[in-house]
Amino acid sequence: MVELKPIRMDEAARYLGYGDTTPDETILALMKECEAPLMEACHPAYSVGIFDMECCSEDEVKLAECALTLTGKDIVKHLVGCTKVALMAATLGPGVDMLMRRLQLTSMPKAVLTDAMAGAAIEQICDDIQAELQGKMPLYRQTWRFSPGYGDLPLAMQDELLAAVEANKRIGLATTDSHMLTPLKSVTAIIGLQDMTKELRKVATEDGDAISAPVGACAAGACAGCAYHDSCISRQDKGTQETDK
Amino acid sequence: MTDNRQILILDGAMGTELQAAGLPVGGIPEVWNIEHPEKVTAIHRRYIEAGSQVVYTNTFGANRLKMAKAGYPLNALIVAAIGNARAAVTESGRTDVKVAMDIGPIGRLIEPLGDMSFDEAYDIFAEEVRAAKGADMIVIETMSDLSESKAAVLAAKENSDLPVFLTMSFEANSRTFTGTAIASMALTFSDMGIDGIGMNCSLGPEELLPMVKELYTATKLPLVVKPNAGLPDPATNTYNVMPEEFGAIIRKMLPYGVCAVGGCCGTSPEYIRELTRVVREWEAERDAYEAAKGSAKEASGQAFYPDDYDELMTLRNTRPTGIASASRAVWFTEPRCIGERINPTGKKRFKEALLAGDMDYILGQAISQVEAGAEILDVNVGLPGIDETAMMVRVIRELQAVVDVPLQIDSNKPEVLEAALRIYCGKPLVNSVNGEEKSLSSILPLVKKYGAAVVGLTLDEDGIGASAEQRFAVAEKIVSRAESMGIRRENLQIDCLTLTASAEQAGVAETLKAVAMVHDKLHLGAVLGVSNVSFGLPNRDVINTAFLTMALQNGLTLPIMNPNSEAMMGALRAYRVLMNIDKNSLAYMDAYRDWKPAQTVVVAAGATGGADATKGGAAGAGIGAPAGDTVAADIAAKLGEGAASLYTAVVRGLAAQGTELTKSLLGSMDSMDIVNGVLIPALDTVGAGFESGRLFLPQLILSASVVQGAFAEIKSYMTQTGSATVSKGTIVLATVKGDIHDIGKNIVKVLLENYGFTVVDLGRDVEIEAVVNAARETGTPLVGLSALMTTTLPSMRDTIAALREAGLPCKVVVGGAVLTPEYAAEIGADYYGRDAKATVDIAKEVFGV
Repeated sequence: MVELKPIRMDEAARYLGYGDTTPDETILALMKECEAPLMEACHPAYSVGIFDMECCSEDEVKLAECALTLTGKDIVKHLVGCTKVALMAATLGPGVDMLMRRLQLTSMPKAVLTDAMAGAAIEQICDDIQAELQGKMPLYRQTWRFSPGYGDLPLAMQDELLAAVEANKRIGLATTDSHMLTPLKSVTAIIGLQDMTKELRKVATEDGDAISAPVGACAAGACAGCAYHDSCISRQDKGTQETDK
Repeated sequence: MTDNRQILILDGAMGTELQAAGLPVGGIPEVWNIEHPEKVTAIHRRYIEAGSQVVYTNTFGANRLKMAKAGYPLNALIVAAIGNARAAVTESGRTDVKVAMDIGPIGRLIEPLGDMSFDEAYDIFAEEVRAAKGADMIVIETMSDLSESKAAVLAAKENSDLPVFLTMSFEANSRTFTGTAIASMALTFSDMGIDGIGMNCSLGPEELLPMVKELYTATKLPLVVKPNAGLPDPATNTYNVMPEEFGAIIRKMLPYGVCAVGGCCGTSPEYIRELTRVVREWEAERDAYEAAKGSAKEASGQAFYPDDYDELMTLRNTRPTGIASASRAVWFTEPRCIGERINPTGKKRFKEALLAGDMDYILGQAISQVEAGAEILDVNVGLPGIDETAMMVRVIRELQAVVDVPLQIDSNKPEVLEAALRIYCGKPLVNSVNGEEKSLSSILPLVKKYGAAVVGLTLDEDGIGASAEQRFAVAEKIVSRAESMGIRRENLQIDCLTLTASAEQAGVAETLKAVAMVHDKLHLGAVLGVSNVSFGLPNRDVINTAFLTMALQNGLTLPIMNPNSEAMMGALRAYRVLMNIDKNSLAYMDAYRDWKPAQTVVVAAGATGGADATKGGAAGAGIGAPAGDTVAADIAAKLGEGAASLYTAVVRGLAAQGTELTKSLLGSMDSMDIVNGVLIPALDTVGAGFESGRLFLPQLILSASVVQGAFAEIKSYMTQTGSATVSKGTIVLATVKGDIHDIGKNIVKVLLENYGFTVVDLGRDVEIEAVVNAARETGTPLVGLSALMTTTLPSMRDTIAALREAGLPCKVVVGGAVLTPEYAAEIGADYYGRDAKATVDIAKEVFGV
């Protein structure tokens, strides 16, 4: 089970544009004040499905016994060297949306801070889900989280991804007409699983094959294709960095 | 639909059985109705052979949205599904098996959770219902959202005569994913004419057992239960409860009003076989036990029903009804405060807000009442010059998106009430019906149809009776009429009508007497608009509070009052303590945990007004100007220390001081001088800090919110003094069609308003046409469009194109996370608003201010 832990304020501050700067005491105190109502409003839930990769062409990945076909060059690149794929959907639940609507009427500063903190919370939930998965599948190395809408993977795939993990039924996650996730603080992701036992063999025999390149390199490469590439605060402040923080 | 002596055996999972037969994960199960009918029929048949008396058609997702890519017409998929189920029944040779048209959630969320309208959801369900010819009943299942459930139930009731079951899916916290509480579901649907209510999916029988008990006490409807085979392993997707255990736990549920049981995800014919065995065995034991009632066997102390059964059954039978929002049920078991403030009568500022469509003000009124302790909010938006139906629907929708208390819909117009009752999420209280024939015949049918509670006003064609007896007679008339129409009497709450002490002093006692009669003789709850009593008298709170206490003692249960009146709320809280309702005074102590004895207030020097104000008040003293800030010194020299303190309060983001200082300055300084001479320079200072990277977004917003508070004071002052507010011009803002992330746009709005612009906020997911219309109607020179996602940028482009095509002279500024200056230019925008501050600068340029 994945449960919500105390929110990482440094992450939230990063979303607010602080970079490495620590917010002043007034803001930190206000963030602290926002924490309890946010935690109360959060009801995290997730659904994960693990599928074997059936076949992979230049711009298409098919999954075994799954109706979802992933399309685009970027997702193929993301899944290079993987034998399995984890599809993941996670949400903080609709309580946070209501809290946000309410805060925007009563205190815009709290709304802005809570929004960033909720962003940090859902990312943290995703990290925990990946950690849990790691515990269950210790011999697989996980890629970072690739989501519909990144690069050339269509956002419209969101709907089929939700269907593949029965996210609507299991965690109440839905899409809008334009394939956005509701509740708003939700994430879907495609995580490649690399069989490390195979990779080690490969390294031993072929020495330095591209397939066994470190995951980090992959993440840096994909950053360029990211929709937020030009306006991402993190990039402007820190340059290219791994996205799977 | 069942004789309730025999429990109906439903079927088990369809989805997992189809997957076992080869359907890929995430595939469209309904397609198999046409492509593999024999496999679907075989699954139904196995369930019938195992004991199922109701089989659910393979139509869980058979709605036009989910079936868009199925490759077959929706109708054909549903007809085939019913045909397959019917074929299985025929093959079985059984005559007691029914075919149930299965309706699952649409897969989109209704506003405000998502972007689908209630009417669209209704249409989608109605289409399914109309296609279900040949089914014996309709089962709406696995619902999470109360609004969606209501749309489905209405669609079923209005488009067919078949019996209807509704089951929702609850999580371990006894709520659905969207936050619907068990009691809310129970209250909402108990009087809407469905035949069974309950829960399915999400959890196993063990987890559902306490929830079944809770539901049993909250409704008198028969219960329907279809649990999963335990909890799934997220990695392997297998369930952990085996058939024998499944049956054993279900058995424990049976005493609590259960009329139908089956299984959901992970269950198979084996589960249903075991379930059938257990249920029939239990029924035989129950019948034997009851036959032996009063005999030696019973006396031997071998109790058949569980220990808590009597207690829960008594609660079920004696509990009065209540009303509900999706997440909060308010039972009429004790006095409840109904907040009266959402009502334009006698409220100038509220009227202005209604006419201007200023939702923020109205919602703010709601939030402050709830925070003060209101448990129900009265909603009245009747005002000449506005479309009351449209406004009522809009206000209810927006209120339900920000507060969780149930609402009292206040109008005497049937068309307004019907529109509101339809879209209201939960069970509302209708205010009101009265004893006039016209009212009885038009309002009560609506109450009946939508399963609402209603306030009955004790007046009729002859007006308000002078005596308590006359009003009581009208109450009796309303009750008997309602009962004759099938409305349960507990859904009636009687308003004995408060008279004004200053005008009809003797009448006050008659009202109290009538309340007592309603309480003692009709055993119904009583409503009173408490504050009316003091109209025309000074120090109204004193009269109101005394009257409230007296009325409570006479049997008042639903005071309509001002929850922001500390004295009245105090009287209500105290009443609950003194009458032993608030056990151990817990609620009372919670309400006053931060309470301290009143102290002599040191009046701020500035608050006395006059020349002192310009020298700076106590509230602002000690703030001190930021070091090296020459603007503060300038303001102090030109406008006085008080003004300089306000400047500093804005720069430092000190909201409480900002409001106090503005209040004190308003007596002595021209309001436009405060805006232009203090607030805007302060915002400019903060804005410059933000632009240079010295200050961050939260600090900018913090200062903006101080200015927001100052503006509210200025606006209220100007309304009081009858002077018109000066606007620097009107700007239309919208988050474009398809995009539902609007915090960025709302930040821009706050900042623009800070600078004195009037913002017409169209909200999120805004139709292109709505933007064009607003731009045309306001004649604005500037439209701001926001979009967060790459995928909604085309929608932004289309909106700009439509504005241009309409020949409107406005400039367009665009902003949002994925936008770049280049892309802004490419899609035809005039300006790129990098952030909220930059957007304000653009507005200043466009308006030349």
